[in-house]
Amino acid sequence: MAQSAKPISSPVPVAWYPTLAIFMLAIGLVVTASFFIYEATSSRKNRSLAKELTTGAVASVFLGFGSLFLLLSSGVYV
Amino acid sequence: MKRFRFDLPLFLLLGFCMLFSQAVSSLVISHLDRKIDLSSQIVRSSVWLKIENKGDDSVSEILLPFTEKQTKSLAFLSASIGEGKGKAKGSFESVPLKTVNPEGMNPTLTWYAVSLPKKLQKGGSLTLEVKAVYTHILRPFPEKITQADVQLVSFEESAYYLSPYAVNVQLLTVKLPEPKVESYTKLDNSKFSGSEIKYGPYENTAPFSNIPITVHYVNNHPFSVARELVREIEISHWGNVQVTESYNLVHAGAEIIGEFSRLDYQARPHVRGASAFRNLVAKLPPRAHSIYYRDEIGNISTSNVWSDSAKTILEIEPRYPMFGGWRSSFTIGYGLPLQDFLSLSERKRVLDISFGCPMNEVVIENLTVKIVLPEGSNDISVSVPFPIKQFQETKFSHLDMVGRPVVVLEKKNAVPEHNQYFQVSYKFSNLSLLREPMMLIFGFFLFFVACIAYAHADLTISKSSASYLSKLQWDEVQTAIQQFQNVMNRCLIIHDKLEASLRDLSRTGDVQTCKAARKAADSTLKELSKELKPLLSFLQSSSQATQILPKVEELVSKEKELQEKLMLKHSTVTDSYEKKSGGREIENRVALIQQKISVLRQEVDDLLEVIDI
Repeated sequence: MAQSAKPISSPVPVAWYPTLAIFMLAIGLVVTASFFIYEATSSRKNRSLAKELTTGAVASVFLGFGSLFLLLSSGVYV
Repeated sequence: MKRFRFDLPLFLLLGFCMLFSQAVSSLVISHLDRKIDLSSQIVRSSVWLKIENKGDDSVSEILLPFTEKQTKSLAFLSASIGEGKGKAKGSFESVPLKTVNPEGMNPTLTWYAVSLPKKLQKGGSLTLEVKAVYTHILRPFPEKITQADVQLVSFEESAYYLSPYAVNVQLLTVKLPEPKVESYTKLDNSKFSGSEIKYGPYENTAPFSNIPITVHYVNNHPFSVARELVREIEISHWGNVQVTESYNLVHAGAEIIGEFSRLDYQARPHVRGASAFRNLVAKLPPRAHSIYYRDEIGNISTSNVWSDSAKTILEIEPRYPMFGGWRSSFTIGYGLPLQDFLSLSERKRVLDISFGCPMNEVVIENLTVKIVLPEGSNDISVSVPFPIKQFQETKFSHLDMVGRPVVVLEKKNAVPEHNQYFQVSYKFSNLSLLREPMMLIFGFFLFFVACIAYAHADLTISKSSASYLSKLQWDEVQTAIQQFQNVMNRCLIIHDKLEASLRDLSRTGDVQTCKAARKAADSTLKELSKELKPLLSFLQSSSQATQILPKVEELVSKEKELQEKLMLKHSTVTDSYEKKSGGREIENRVALIQQKISVLRQEVDDLLEVIDI
């Protein structure tokens, strides 16, 4: 093989996966909780769609990456 | 004339044949040393030939014939040549081999040709080393044995090396696993000593001379043959190379007859079960992790792992000792760190991993190696150091949309000699790595959007029922009260701002800023009270709000009072500052008001909490 070949490793160190999974899922679940609290407590006319969508987007980013790292740390390499 | 033309091709052919046979006969093997290793189920033969060119023309090819029987069981063949005379290993370089069909030769033989890197000149000599590996060439004899018997196998060969060239001196050594031999063909110059049988030296043998010999000996080594092995190598760019190997294993030695006694086997496994094998040892790469060993019914607990920096040793035991003819199928799997096997070279990613089975001395009849590349890889090319059948397919796995490209390599009759590194190179964009998380994020987001849609949708069927109408009204009251709370909170914030401006005044003594703050606060409060009016009138008119209305009104009046007191305090303090009164004096003057303010503030906060619905 060529001398110039350099090894490829994962973008995030494998040892960080469990920690990342726990923290991102925790943040994601807190944001999800706040989303549902907002949905349940504010009356239908006072609700702002933008706020709902941003909370949902933030929560889904954290939950998405959190569940990815959870899969990776449990050995399901996607 | 006609007749002559007809004969011309025949003449040419004849001439060619003569030329060829001349080329063949011009070579002489001056010394030949052959070693056949029978110590396991795989027969390894290595031949050192010293070849001299006695003819006039230079030669570019050396022919190696194999009998039909040898060809059928030939698994691996390699040749390497060294100039000069020594048998030193370092000076050998491997040369390519190809099958040829020389004319005028025995058609039952299969011919391989060694193409020399440079022609062998007249009078020149070279050393050629030919290594051949055969499987299924040992015949169990007897074919059926009982549990207590040892396994005897017979091996047939020729005492002379099969060669189209004359051999001056030749020697054959047959190495046995144990110094126990049932019988062997005795010839002149044959000698049995230790666990070796020596034939020769024989001098001046003619081309194609043949003296069959048979060796019948004890071989209790595991005859482990994998009828089928599927190795799946799955690459994940998130840091793992997952290898899964499914074996369909059989003991291909002498079949067992009669009953099997577990008690006898357990008590004296070396006597009552000499032909069986109990375990298999796999040599895995270093840093292998998440190793498992299971079959259809689940995990098999009889396995051991040892690891060091150079390798990982996995010892597995099938569920029962393997006797002749018994089968077992199981799966082993392990993960390997990505950086040990994958590298970037000239904008392509290259996987460099070993081809064959990691178990020692296992013959694989049908080996399938599948390399599952990540979704989105393209421009795939494979380089394997020996001829192989290959094709591509697609596999669907976790979080896939279009499927992962799979390179499938198929090899028949694979032996440990095929355990060489091979390379798969492909292009893959780092952005494709984000496909899986993006899918997950999108999935979660869809869930949230569904929740929002559900919360906004009105799913009531009967829009005219009393309960629905009262619910609508209650919703409106709730909306009004939330807006009212919002206004109240904004008022309280302005109160806090006023207090802050007073604190600034006591620190800096800047009366003008303080007055400006007061002005701003006044106008905002006025606007807020305007906002409050429609809300209050709605609440007063609504029948649903009767319960909460007194509290709301009380809150409004308390807030007004609080506002007045605060203004009073503010103007008192600013006035005193304008008159340059002492700090002590100001404090005395506002002390009473301050007391009232704090009481009122407390009441307002309490009421805000009470109306919170």
